[in-house]
Amino acid sequence: MQIDRFIEQDVIITTVKGRLDSSSSHKLDDFLAEIPAGNNAILLDFAELTYISSAGLRVVLKATKLARSHGVALAICSLVPQVHEVFDVSGFTTLIPIHPDRGAALASFA
Amino acid sequence: MIIREIDLRLPNQLSQMEKLVAALEFFTETCAIPPKPAYRLTLAVDEFVNNAVDYGYGDGRPGEIGVHVRHLGDALELTLTDDGDPFDPFNAPPPDLTGSLEERRIGGLGVHLVRTMADSFAYKREDGRNVVSLRLALGEAPASSAPA
Repeated sequence: MQIDRFIEQDVIITTVKGRLDSSSSHKLDDFLAEIPAGNNAILLDFAELTYISSAGLRVVLKATKLARSHGVALAICSLVPQVHEVFDVSGFTTLIPIHPDRGAALASFA
Repeated sequence: MIIREIDLRLPNQLSQMEKLVAALEFFTETCAIPPKPAYRLTLAVDEFVNNAVDYGYGDGRPGEIGVHVRHLGDALELTLTDDGDPFDPFNAPPPDLTGSLEERRIGGLGVHLVRTMADSFAYKREDGRNVVSLRLALGEAPASSAPA
């Protein structure tokens, strides 16, 4: 799993590439453990996330709670169909804004 | 030779997961399983093996986990066994998927994902082993029961 972070239109974008499961989820958990200074909105771009299990969902939920407790907006974009199904079945799609692509997500923060 | 099933036995250690996932991917590619059921198969094995390793051997004893997958026409039949403590995953309370974000507790989420995506599921205790059987359709299948 590879994690990258950069800023676009004042939004902190984190991309995750590969598999987010019980063996890799702690890396993303560490990465998202702190809200960066400045309170910029956070976007998790999962375009290259090929797999997520409940261990990965827990990390996403924890990050969402942390952002909300700091008054920071957090959204997710670009889920592949199989990963989207996991978000649907878990009920997370009703809790976290999910956008079809990065452009739509950035527009939602504007 | 056409591969129609795999039967794996592995020690109860999470370090085995990588090899296990690679074996499942080889199987689904060889059998030309469509992406959605292939993903569901990996997810089911991942969630249940993790649960068995994490909670089945509280005293830290070594154990053995079995993963058996058969490709039968329009479905995959998955049988997962372990010699951990008796535990019926389908008898556990479902996770609370209705509460607000702040209230949300997500214990049991893995089991919920798998049972929702499976066409059928069953548990039995047999010869000192937990035996979980799952059927995953290869066509358009369940997972329609989106939470309220």
